[in-house]
Amino acid sequence: MNAAFWILSIITVLGALFAVTLRNLVHCVLSLILFFLGIAGHYFLLRADFLGAVQILIYIGAVAVLMLFAIMLTRHVTGDEEEREVLGGKWWAGMGTAVIVAGLLWAVIRKDQLTAVLPAGGATTSVAEIGKALVTDWVVPFEAMAVLLTAALIGAVVIALEEVIRKR
Amino acid sequence: MRFDSRSWFPYNERAFEGDYCLETVYQQLRTWFANAPDAVLFWLSVIIPILFVLAVYPGIFAYTTLVERKALGRIQNRIGPNRVGRWGILQPIADGLKLLTKEDIVPRRADHIVHFLAPVIAVVPAILLFSVVPVGAGLVPVNLNIGILFAFAVSTASVLALFMGGWASRNKFSLLGAMRAVAQVVSYEVPMVLAAVAVVMVVGSLSTLRIAHAQSGGILNVTNWFVFRPWGFVGFVLFTIGAMAESARTPFDIPEAESEIIAGYHTEYSGFKFALFQMGEYLASIAMAGITVTMFLGAYNGPGSGPGWIGGLISMFWFFIKLGFMIALNIWIRGTWPRVRVDQLMGFAWKLLLPMSIVNIIAVGFWHYITIRPLAWIITTLWLVVWFGVLSRLAATEGVAPRTYRYAS
Amino acid sequence: MGFIGKGLFEGMVVTARNFVGSYFDKERLVTVQYPEERVQTPENSRTFPFLVYDDDKDPVATMRCVACKICETECPPQCIYIVMDRDEKGKPRQRPKVFDIDTSVCMQCQICVEVCPFEAIKMDNDYEKSQYGRFDELVEHLPDLLKSNEYYSKIKPTEASAVDAKLKAEKEKKAKKAAPAAAAKPAAAVAPKAVAPAPTPATAAASAPAAKLVIPDDAPFSPEQRQWLSGFLSAVSVGAAPATGAAPSTPAQAVTPPTTSAAAPAAEPAPTAAAPAGNWPWHDPGLGMQQRLDLAKSALLADKLMAAMAQTDCHACGYDCRGYADAIAGGAESDLSLCLPGEAETANMLKKLMEEAGKA
Repeated sequence: MNAAFWILSIITVLGALFAVTLRNLVHCVLSLILFFLGIAGHYFLLRADFLGAVQILIYIGAVAVLMLFAIMLTRHVTGDEEEREVLGGKWWAGMGTAVIVAGLLWAVIRKDQLTAVLPAGGATTSVAEIGKALVTDWVVPFEAMAVLLTAALIGAVVIALEEVIRKR
Repeated sequence: MRFDSRSWFPYNERAFEGDYCLETVYQQLRTWFANAPDAVLFWLSVIIPILFVLAVYPGIFAYTTLVERKALGRIQNRIGPNRVGRWGILQPIADGLKLLTKEDIVPRRADHIVHFLAPVIAVVPAILLFSVVPVGAGLVPVNLNIGILFAFAVSTASVLALFMGGWASRNKFSLLGAMRAVAQVVSYEVPMVLAAVAVVMVVGSLSTLRIAHAQSGGILNVTNWFVFRPWGFVGFVLFTIGAMAESARTPFDIPEAESEIIAGYHTEYSGFKFALFQMGEYLASIAMAGITVTMFLGAYNGPGSGPGWIGGLISMFWFFIKLGFMIALNIWIRGTWPRVRVDQLMGFAWKLLLPMSIVNIIAVGFWHYITIRPLAWIITTLWLVVWFGVLSRLAATEGVAPRTYRYAS
Repeated sequence: MGFIGKGLFEGMVVTARNFVGSYFDKERLVTVQYPEERVQTPENSRTFPFLVYDDDKDPVATMRCVACKICETECPPQCIYIVMDRDEKGKPRQRPKVFDIDTSVCMQCQICVEVCPFEAIKMDNDYEKSQYGRFDELVEHLPDLLKSNEYYSKIKPTEASAVDAKLKAEKEKKAKKAAPAAAAKPAAAVAPKAVAPAPTPATAAASAPAAKLVIPDDAPFSPEQRQWLSGFLSAVSVGAAPATGAAPSTPAQAVTPPTTSAAAPAAEPAPTAAAPAGNWPWHDPGLGMQQRLDLAKSALLADKLMAAMAQTDCHACGYDCRGYADAIAGGAESDLSLCLPGEAETANMLKKLMEEAGKA
């Protein structure tokens, strides 16, 4: 397990690193996809198989494609344009954000805090359990998400319809 | 380091209680070589399924290309290739050699890394799909709990290859083809997955072995196939259409329609990279055929399939017969139907297939809760037929009235 | 009851029928696997010319071509090259020694076939003529071009049978004509070389141009056209008046330059010394009409007449060039348009010469 964990971690971290440092935006998104793959691998290592598969299905199959579409429609993609400074040159903003995030993470993943939350005997993450939980304990957030997604779908259709009507 | 194979992947779980499955490869090897070290057996149990997939399915792909060309030829009043070897059986080898030795042309301003990776990303998901397709009773390369979900996740990843291929070529038409291809694949995934959900609902598991096992029994092991249920039949049709669109086969082959957009996203590819794109497309269609067989056509079930060695061999035979039937259906459809237009494509997916798949899920609900079987049959069938009529009338964009012509005078 | 998608299934049925039928029905599998099978080309299809011979035992001797070079002259892209075969003494054998057709130039217009008076050259329909070179390999020589009459009948049955019938008819006609002429020849040879000999019925029959049909029997003319044509041609053919036949002259006889016998147009002038055979500087088909006439300027009428002809010794007129000239001069031949290689030029020149000879 250790070997797999280290390999996956290296892939993940490298993916994330390249995603923020590469010049070409499409390359950035592709390395982000590598990052997503690493995360899915970690999910599988943690025996959260459903989550791992859904990570691939949703993040790589939908979110990354969406990002690629969005990038395709912008102009400065290839990275050949003139160099601009990151964050407009205000390095202290980046430093501050990094410190805050690190602190939050440390506060969250302190070992004793984490194991207090988990039920004894390890979590069961089979698909059946997730399904049951979604429609019993967590039904309200589930339905709220469904309504949100429906609203988003209707909004997309409305926007597209406006264009169609305007074209005619 | 101890290699405890059970803690790596959730794949050693038995598909179903009791008999009926050969032991997983690891356990089978353990019974044969009881004294071998654990690591060796583990790695063997990993490599043997890989070798099986790599040996069998690319061979099926190669001869599918030949069978397709010959069958299309016969449909079109001509003989297919018959010069390279008797009946053309060495044709795939000749094609492979030809493509291998072709010059690999990369446009100068193309994105070399992405251009190189796109065919790889086209092929890998297709091969990964084979790992959850059971070829015989209990014989699946990787026994995943989430088999169907894994299959869909992996087939979604192949969308990226389309995009990367079109983008990296630095060719407006490739990009256009890539965008259309991505739109098509993403649109047809939804009804396909929802059709599969119907099956998963009935079986109660995402594991392909369990789905296959649920279709055993009945008369001659045949009548329990899901395709012989109303919701299963509709699901079969929806899933087949979605599968054809996923792997860009005619009539959904706009991404690579030669007469429309030259070669779409793989215009700028030559030699082996082009071969890999083709291989990815064909392997994806064969893998999707395999999953269709698993979910609707009873996987390996047929007269004589059962536990043990003989039953296992017979079940393998039935599986490959059905796979051949699905491939033949694909080829037959390719030789018959014209290509859909891009707008027809989208309309068809979102206006007809998606509502129909949701209706199908509700039909499964009826089927499950109406306990009197004949009544369940009647109500489900009626529900599906009525909704199909309504939706198809609503989704028809052009009327079916005869055309009126205006002549210049 | 058409449900949505019915047409799709009907289409599937059609292709299934095609697929299954292609194993049993020839109509559903139209592939002709070249080169094991070949599509039969239509009878009138043509590729390049070939030469016909009649007897397999000796193709060279029985070939119909007499090297008259009409096809060489008429060929628009000039792809034919002919050299007449001559024996040791230089006398032409009536067949070609060299007959080259450059198939990279030949445009398959079939004009050579149309103008050949001996049905010797015909169009082949063999299309498998690729060679491994672009220049010399594409020139076909005499051995390649010779193909038998059986082959010709095989590839073009209707044409070949028509040609065979025509050749047979011609042969019979010639035999019929030669029999009385052979009988008349010894009779006329002893006839005195009179100024105005009385025509004998035999000679009249042999040499009466009116009885001699100018237009062949199988020419596609209607009776009215035939009548007009024969009148026209007899008016054109100066020399022998229809009624007064002349005794056939021997080739050795020569005529003086423009004779004065106006009464009998077909006068038999006193023979003077004839130009001996072989001493004919104008007898070169490469010379032009004016050059030939210049060379024959001071010669006798027969020589001048001979100079006006095409000098190919092709025997299209039935004689060699010398014989034809002597026949015209002697009055035995009144048809001045028989010289096919010479065409209208020769016919007009012969007419002019005969008019001058008749006036002077």
